[in-house]
Amino acid sequence: MTSAVEVHHLTKRYGSMNAVDDATFSITENTITGLLGRNGAGKTTLMRLITGQEFATSGTVRLFGATPVENAAVLQHTCFISESQRYPEEFRIKHVLAGAPRFFEHWDAEFAEQLVDEFRLTRKQLIKKLSRGQRSAVGVIVGLASRAPLTIFDEPYLGLDAVARQAFYDHLLADYGKRPRTVILSTHLIDEVSQLLEHALVIDAGRIVIDAPVEELRSHAATVSGPAEAVERFIAGHEVAHRDQLGGLLSATIAHVTEADRDAARAAGLEVGAVSLQQLIVRRAGYSAADAPTMISEGTNS
Amino acid sequence: MTATTFDSPLSQTARPLGRRLSTIILLQLTNPMTLIGWPLIILGFIFAGNVAILGIIATATDGRAEVSVNGGIGFLWVYTLVMAVQSVNQTFPLALGFGATRRDYLLGTGALFALLSIAYAALVTALAALERGIDYWGLGLGFFDTAPGAPLWDLFVRYLLLLLLFASIGGATAAVYVRWKAMGMYVFWGALVVVLIGAAYLITVTESWGAVGEFFATAGVLGSILWAQIITVVSSIAAYLILRRATPTNT
Repeated sequence: MTSAVEVHHLTKRYGSMNAVDDATFSITENTITGLLGRNGAGKTTLMRLITGQEFATSGTVRLFGATPVENAAVLQHTCFISESQRYPEEFRIKHVLAGAPRFFEHWDAEFAEQLVDEFRLTRKQLIKKLSRGQRSAVGVIVGLASRAPLTIFDEPYLGLDAVARQAFYDHLLADYGKRPRTVILSTHLIDEVSQLLEHALVIDAGRIVIDAPVEELRSHAATVSGPAEAVERFIAGHEVAHRDQLGGLLSATIAHVTEADRDAARAAGLEVGAVSLQQLIVRRAGYSAADAPTMISEGTNS
Repeated sequence: MTATTFDSPLSQTARPLGRRLSTIILLQLTNPMTLIGWPLIILGFIFAGNVAILGIIATATDGRAEVSVNGGIGFLWVYTLVMAVQSVNQTFPLALGFGATRRDYLLGTGALFALLSIAYAALVTALAALERGIDYWGLGLGFFDTAPGAPLWDLFVRYLLLLLLFASIGGATAAVYVRWKAMGMYVFWGALVVVLIGAAYLITVTESWGAVGEFFATAGVLGSILWAQIITVVSSIAAYLILRRATPTNT
């Protein structure tokens, strides 16, 4: 397995603040990685460093084996879709679809046209007259149709309705199946994209706090619920991530669960459930449980 | 890994330079109205207005006026500055998002405005030749021909250099804005005002206004425009250097 992106002790400092702070990780070629974190955690800066749009203060970035900064040989393989992408004043959707293909070797024009219909857009629409969600859809269309070997979606769904978001996820997954490529998706909507992600990178205050396969993250935690007393007995000695008590019933999220633990819990008459990726990340990234609802609402209110 | 990915392993060499530059040029011409359609339409409108007014005057006075050079074509020089500002400001972040390097973007944009300047200078010169051929529309209107009597090549060179001058000033202005945003604009215009007032003050206290006037008189129109190419060169280099280190965001 080769790495599409290798980041080594990467730091980006703005004034006295480290937007990215000593990050080291690599992204395997042909995987979908979620770059997760709160607003201002450093997600966008990190992705801009990977594509050479930002200059590092220290540390190195290797993109397909070479430095990305001003390097046409590797940047030609990238497509960066930003949530707030501006387009020229007089651009209509058809102009985006005409201007973009020359940048991307693998551009699929037919696919782009199909997506325009699916997102209920028309080629003649002026970009600046589109709603927030429709503009996001244009970005999604370019990102998918570009088929760039490294495609980065920076919160691509802002303003998109649930149906359109689902269409995006479905197309991304289907097209990725046919044409594997490296995708980095930055998002707050962790649970919504968790089925898509193979790998999670969680960044907080510029630091990488989780770098793990999603499967591994998930399999190591579980929710145990049942009568409070029985649950308390079972979770003694376990690392408890979160607890919810309702009357005599207790539901606890515990980390580092083995198969034997699960069997033991079931034997004790407790219910063992899966934990959502979001809860896990919220916990592992060091937020208190009280922060969780804020994180959930962040993604949906914009 | 068994999954077939792309038809071939990722190319490690960049596309040829010409291809990269044409991609940048064509991105900015994707909507041809912006850099070609609107300026020609507005220029045509200004020209038609001039013809109409002179036509009315000619009818009313029942006489043929002397050939007078009208400054209307100057619109094109100023609009070229506006186009350079807008095009750079609007397409630079987009091109970077699409995987272009700053260097390719800047070389491509430089080539684009050089080509546009050549094309517009040739067009206006051709119309000036037409104007001479049909006796200034019978109205004495020197709209495209700003120097009756000067050879056409002289006219072409003047127009070309003026267009390049305005395009490069536009490029440099856009570069300052794209890199430093509003704060850059305040400092840039503030500094420019200080420099101009300072220069005026120096010329005044050294009683050199006569010498300045003499300089331009000696240089002539073409000579003055040639001297102004110092500004073109400095602006172009400044735009290049400023944008080579720019990190445009979409905000």
